[in-house]
Amino acid sequence: MVLEVDGVKLETAPWDPRFPNTNQTKYCYQSFLDYQRCKKIRGEEFDACQYYKRVSKSICPNAWIDKWNTQIEENRFPGNI
Amino acid sequence: MMKINQPYFILNLSPWPILMALNTFNLMISNIMIMNFKFNMMSLMNMFMIISISILWWRDVIRESTFQGNHNFYIMNLIKFSMILFIISEMFLFISFFWNFLHNSLAPSIELGLNWPPKNINFFNPLLIPLLNTIILLTSSFTVTLTHLYLLNNSKKKTIIFMNLTIILSIYFLMLQMLEYNQATFTFSDSIFGSSFYMATGFHGLHVIIGTIFLMINLLRMMKLHFSFIHHISFELAAWYWHFIDIIWLFLYMTFYWWNN
Amino acid sequence: MTWLKLSFQNSNSPLMEQLIFFHDHTIFIIIMIMSTITYMMLFIMNNKFINIKISENQMIEFIWTTTPPIILIFIAMPSLHLLYLMDEIKCPILTIKIFGHQWFWSYEYSDFSNIEFESYMMNDLNKENFRLIEVDNKTIIPFKFNIRLLISSDDVIHSWTIPSLAIKIDAIPGRMNQINLFMNRPGMYFGQCSEICGINHSFMPIQIESINLNKFIYWIKNF
Repeated sequence: MVLEVDGVKLETAPWDPRFPNTNQTKYCYQSFLDYQRCKKIRGEEFDACQYYKRVSKSICPNAWIDKWNTQIEENRFPGNI
Repeated sequence: MMKINQPYFILNLSPWPILMALNTFNLMISNIMIMNFKFNMMSLMNMFMIISISILWWRDVIRESTFQGNHNFYIMNLIKFSMILFIISEMFLFISFFWNFLHNSLAPSIELGLNWPPKNINFFNPLLIPLLNTIILLTSSFTVTLTHLYLLNNSKKKTIIFMNLTIILSIYFLMLQMLEYNQATFTFSDSIFGSSFYMATGFHGLHVIIGTIFLMINLLRMMKLHFSFIHHISFELAAWYWHFIDIIWLFLYMTFYWWNN
Repeated sequence: MTWLKLSFQNSNSPLMEQLIFFHDHTIFIIIMIMSTITYMMLFIMNNKFINIKISENQMIEFIWTTTPPIILIFIAMPSLHLLYLMDEIKCPILTIKIFGHQWFWSYEYSDFSNIEFESYMMNDLNKENFRLIEVDNKTIIPFKFNIRLLISSDDVIHSWTIPSLAIKIDAIPGRMNQINLFMNRPGMYFGQCSEICGINHSFMPIQIESINLNKFIYWIKNF
């Protein structure tokens, strides 16, 4: 559902059937991981990457994203990018 | 005096239960002292006390059963049933470790990057020492059964030989396990992988130590001719315990070592 | 306030409406059971006779074992229905991330530019505010829209609760819990932390300001 009011687009991460539970931790992590993988293969400007970036930004706590970005910079991120 | 019209042996007054209870309580408190103040004198003293009380208590039980002959067949049935319940409770202890392991390995948490085993964990080859350990434990289970067979056949010499063999095999197992722990490239604190692995195998190792002590005491009692071919319940319970440890190891080997790789 | 102490707060979301209906339905059944049992007990206590057919009476045994499950089914069906309805998330237009801290709540609206703020309890007794349940930075949320709430914590377990919206969801460190929020009308909705989280557990209230979408957009633009 996308609403546009006064030039502000109201759009958020959609419901994802992979994560039907109350616990959405993995939705956050998976979209962050997908964004990193997409960025590595297609570059940041690619449309699909922007989608993942938006989803991870909507779902993940900012503190977690900051932490993971630091981990990636310091080359100690536990996931497979 | 109460008229004795039931088959059960009424115990004499004994100081051990209350002393054991107090010392166990003290041990808990002194473990908190270790955790908070790194002060381990209390804990060591209490461990010493608990071991002494255990020895004296079991000495009393041996006197009651072997020397006074108070353990008739009703009591033996009771003891066997208690041992079964005890082993079932031990099984549930290990079920919790397996549950923990499966929970964390089938759906790894995001802190591990959804990977199992986690990145940079070099797990050892399950077909080397662990497989040898499996063979050793299975063999020791076999020898303990042979001991039972020769005990039933009233053959003292062979009984003691196979009992010695069982104990040697169990010590061999423990030494190999220690060697493997020393060689391991990951530690207890290396994520949930290390924690669950050392927790489960460590507890198994502890049970092997307990089982070995149990078998050693039985060997001693065998050499002192405490057992007959109809009344050797202590040995039987030790053998059950040993089989139980063996089965736990098989499951440990299958999940923690083999499937994990 | 007096009546609200005795019963639920007025509902402000469809779910809370349904929950109140369910509560009334259950209470109705309980009163039915209670009155039947009380009647039977009094009847038995005041009875001088002895029933010679009471033992091995298969019919009465059958009745008193089958009726309770049937009654329970009538309670369980709407209960389970509501339970699964509460977990449902329906095309949200907005995601709000809520974090419990010792002892305040912080909010993140990151669908647009990053809006982050912390809301502490108002400690100003001179003003005419509700004692202990008003906050300095209210959570602004548009009404008549489905909103996704993601609740987590930074330290210990807290619980984010708004009774009038039928929301009570634990804030657990390292985990994001999701719940849908839909408000019927504008207003101020209050709640308090519902998981004992330390010394100031009672002093980390939640206050939602429900406003219409245009005002909400205005707020976002001028944050």
